[in-house]
Amino acid sequence: MTVFRALAAVPEAALVLALPPLLLGIIVKTKAWFAGRVGPPWLQPYYDLRKLLRKGAVYSRTTTWVFRAGPVVNLAALLTAATLTPIVSSSSLVGFAGDVILVAYLLALGRMFTVLSAMDTGSSFEGMGASREVTFGTMSEPALFLSLIVLAIATKSLQLSEMVGPQLYGAWHAAGPAILLVVGALLIVLLTETCRVPVDDPATHLELTMIHEVMVLDHSGPDFAFITYGAALKFLLLGSILLHVALPHPGWPLWVDAPLRLVELAVLAAVVGVIESSMARLRLNRVPLLLAGATVLAALAAVLILTGSTS
Amino acid sequence: MTLLLLVAVPLVFGALCLVLPTSPLRMAALVAGAWAHLAVVIRSWPAAEAPANYELVGLDPLGHLFLTLISVLFAATAVYFVGYHRKRLISQRVFQACTLALLSALTALCISQHLGLLWVALESASLAATPLIYFRLGPRALEATWKFLLMNSVGVALALLGIFSVAIATTRHDGVIVLTVADLVRHATRLDPSWLRVGFLLGLVGFGTKMGLAPLHSWKPDAYGEAPPPVAALMAGGVTLGAFAGILRLFQVCSAAGLGAFAGSWLIAFGLLSLATSAVFVVGSVDYRRLLAYTSVEHMGVLVVGVGLGGAGSYAGMLHAMHNMLNKGALFFLAGFLWRLHESNRIRDVRGTLRRSPPAGILLLAALCATCGLPPFGMFFSELGIVLAAAQAGRWWVLGLFVLTLAVVFVGVMTAALPMVFGDPPDAAAVRPEQAPLRPWRRVTMLSAAAVLVALGLGLGACQPPAVREALLRAADSVNRPQAASVAAASVTKVQP
Amino acid sequence: MSAQTATDGVLVLVILLNLGMLAVSRLATGVRLFALQSLLLALLPLAEGASETGTPGVHAILIAGGTLGLKVVLIPSVLLRIIRTGEIHREVEPFLGFAASVFAGALLVIGSFALAARLPLPTPPLSKLIVPVALSTLLLGLLTLVSRLKAITQVLGFLVLENGVFIMGLLLLKQTPLLVELGILLDLFVGVFLMAIVVYHIRREFDHMDTHLLDALKES
Repeated sequence: MTVFRALAAVPEAALVLALPPLLLGIIVKTKAWFAGRVGPPWLQPYYDLRKLLRKGAVYSRTTTWVFRAGPVVNLAALLTAATLTPIVSSSSLVGFAGDVILVAYLLALGRMFTVLSAMDTGSSFEGMGASREVTFGTMSEPALFLSLIVLAIATKSLQLSEMVGPQLYGAWHAAGPAILLVVGALLIVLLTETCRVPVDDPATHLELTMIHEVMVLDHSGPDFAFITYGAALKFLLLGSILLHVALPHPGWPLWVDAPLRLVELAVLAAVVGVIESSMARLRLNRVPLLLAGATVLAALAAVLILTGSTS
Repeated sequence: MTLLLLVAVPLVFGALCLVLPTSPLRMAALVAGAWAHLAVVIRSWPAAEAPANYELVGLDPLGHLFLTLISVLFAATAVYFVGYHRKRLISQRVFQACTLALLSALTALCISQHLGLLWVALESASLAATPLIYFRLGPRALEATWKFLLMNSVGVALALLGIFSVAIATTRHDGVIVLTVADLVRHATRLDPSWLRVGFLLGLVGFGTKMGLAPLHSWKPDAYGEAPPPVAALMAGGVTLGAFAGILRLFQVCSAAGLGAFAGSWLIAFGLLSLATSAVFVVGSVDYRRLLAYTSVEHMGVLVVGVGLGGAGSYAGMLHAMHNMLNKGALFFLAGFLWRLHESNRIRDVRGTLRRSPPAGILLLAALCATCGLPPFGMFFSELGIVLAAAQAGRWWVLGLFVLTLAVVFVGVMTAALPMVFGDPPDAAAVRPEQAPLRPWRRVTMLSAAAVLVALGLGLGACQPPAVREALLRAADSVNRPQAASVAAASVTKVQP
Repeated sequence: MSAQTATDGVLVLVILLNLGMLAVSRLATGVRLFALQSLLLALLPLAEGASETGTPGVHAILIAGGTLGLKVVLIPSVLLRIIRTGEIHREVEPFLGFAASVFAGALLVIGSFALAARLPLPTPPLSKLIVPVALSTLLLGLLTLVSRLKAITQVLGFLVLENGVFIMGLLLLKQTPLLVELGILLDLFVGVFLMAIVVYHIRREFDHMDTHLLDALKES
């Protein structure tokens, strides 16, 4: 079993690395389908990345090394987090007790460097985007952490791969309502962190309403490729955590488990596409209410599971 | 049969009020309804045996006493209303029907032994009272009605939750415990104590809202200030008694379950808070009806403090309930008279009543003295009884606060009232010429209704017929059932002159 | 899915709807959320009845039917009618902001869970959530009542409070006689009916439904 698992790890890692742009493609395709258009090809994000990687980068004279470090550190942090997160299979490449904190902070580190490099340009637009990103980040983090606490209590583990692993299947029976609330909170966190509608609109280029896009206006060439790929990877990471919580697999063999997970990821991307097509972006001053809602959902779940009130 | 009559008589006459064609006939129906009710109540004395365990309705000593008090008040108010009544008020048939419906609901409240039934009766009473407050129409009356309706609805919702909690407390016992007071008292030791505590507290807050205990009293000055004075009299003397009966029923169960000390201390806490609140607001009041409303808050505080002290305090509480009814009735009748005289609620507009209308001035002075608890009026004895009960129990803090707040209220009421009674009457120019003078017979009807209540307060304070004393004692005794009847009676005799 | 899991799920949804009502500013949306909440609550007596015998009894069906007719259909339609004919559709500038009231609401929910944990029921109930959810519904109704200005929202707060009492009443389905429960529903109806009339008069009197202009009566 372990040998098989070790052998499978290599193709699995390759799959995880290759997957993120495809999810972006699915989202874009869904939105196009909803709008009655044909839309770009499924693999368009790959072409874009290839194009960007071939280009040279332009750097403003006012920027420092922080600007250049931003995309790289962000991508590195996300890739490290990916090794700790179960994505297609129910186990992660690396795992140790307490790694969930590391994952959360790796996400925060990536965000911090993106924000720093945005501020390093000295542009007021990017500064504004950075300010919004940080504001919403601080509001979504409590929701994320409270959700993780609930999962930790439900599975009695602090290792991410176990917290969202097969143990959760039993926990659903014991504390269904609490975990359902966590799923809701995580969905909002996912939409916020990956800058999707209704929090942010990745397709818009109006500076006054953008959050994420406005921060990366000055990046070009390979740097921008890293940022685009990083955003897709973040979606994959958070999306698969959400899926593992929402639909835990009760220890099925790998050849059932992994393909099913892939299908679920594709469906999740399509669902996000549907949300984006059917909802309008929230007004900027209503977003805190949504995030407060996510935090309250997670807090309620924590209360439910702490008092053991459910069956 | 008597019970059915008690509830049905006001309803029948109320329906009559709705259909009768002319105003005098309707007025006659109102008076006849109230007096017929009083007749049935008087015929029901002396009370029969205590109601059996499973009976939903019945006349226990407490309910019987309160029922009689309420009926007397309604009879007096009906007479008063004949004088007060004015043609230009619209929808008077609804008003009269609602008054009688209120009487019916309060009767049902007094005779119901089942907590759920009691709640339904109380809610019906506040619903029947709502149109009465809104009678005068206009934005001010509307504001008062809205506050009354909203706060009272919340209050009755909390009271219902309290009753539910008591019901949950019964589930600890395997057998069935009916939610009647008698059955709850019989099985009191088998109830779950923590849920009973919750139930009592919620009930105290809920019924206390209806009764006007601080801190949920804020609807009271508005409602009493804006409702027609006879309605305010009914509410201050009658509806508050009904809500108090609800608290007492829960208190009976608690003291039977051995939680008397717990419940008593909460009653004292709420009572002292009400006393303090009224002391703060009475001083410097500019509107005499609102002033009366705050003295009502004060008297509610006195009532619950008395019952909370237990023993002789309960008897003093019952005595106070009776005198509160008589006194608040008389005061609001006089307030209505003053309003007809001056067309103003402001204290500084009302001057020299003694010279403008000597009988009204004397009655007002007497009633205000009574409300402050001066001897020889009944409230002096009831408040003295509570002071003595506090001293007996060694609760010096309670005693000190009680006396202090009463003194402050006394000062506040007297500074406002003395110019109203003595003082110089306003110039003739201030009295608008177009204002129609009160017809003499109206004057006499209104004042005589007030005079009867003042005289009753004076007479029952000075000398107490044995029948009244017996009824009060039995009611007090049923409230603190665990204490022996003889103890309560013995300690009370010292209070009497 | 057992009756117990269903009850748990419904009760959690009830809390979420409460918080949702604190968050929305459109009055009509608030009324619809209330109707949805009452619909969920109407199902609970059936689940409670079904957990005992397999099929809900006549008593449970009557309660569910009464709740359905009154709180899901009648009262919301009356309130929606008042809103439709009025000019004001939103709660603007409440005493407590929307996000702040949601957080305050969450704190109240946590408080009621803590309180309920200290009050063990004498007999094990169908769902351990009943008491805390009843308490939090009650408190959130009170919060709506004190933190909002529009008369309609205050009526809504009172209705939510009544829903909390209703949830508590679920514990007593077997004890309380039907008479009392019907009386409760009737009284609630008449109360809200009167409130609707008063709301209507407030609007006519002041041309809107803002209760904070009702401040003529105070100590001056």
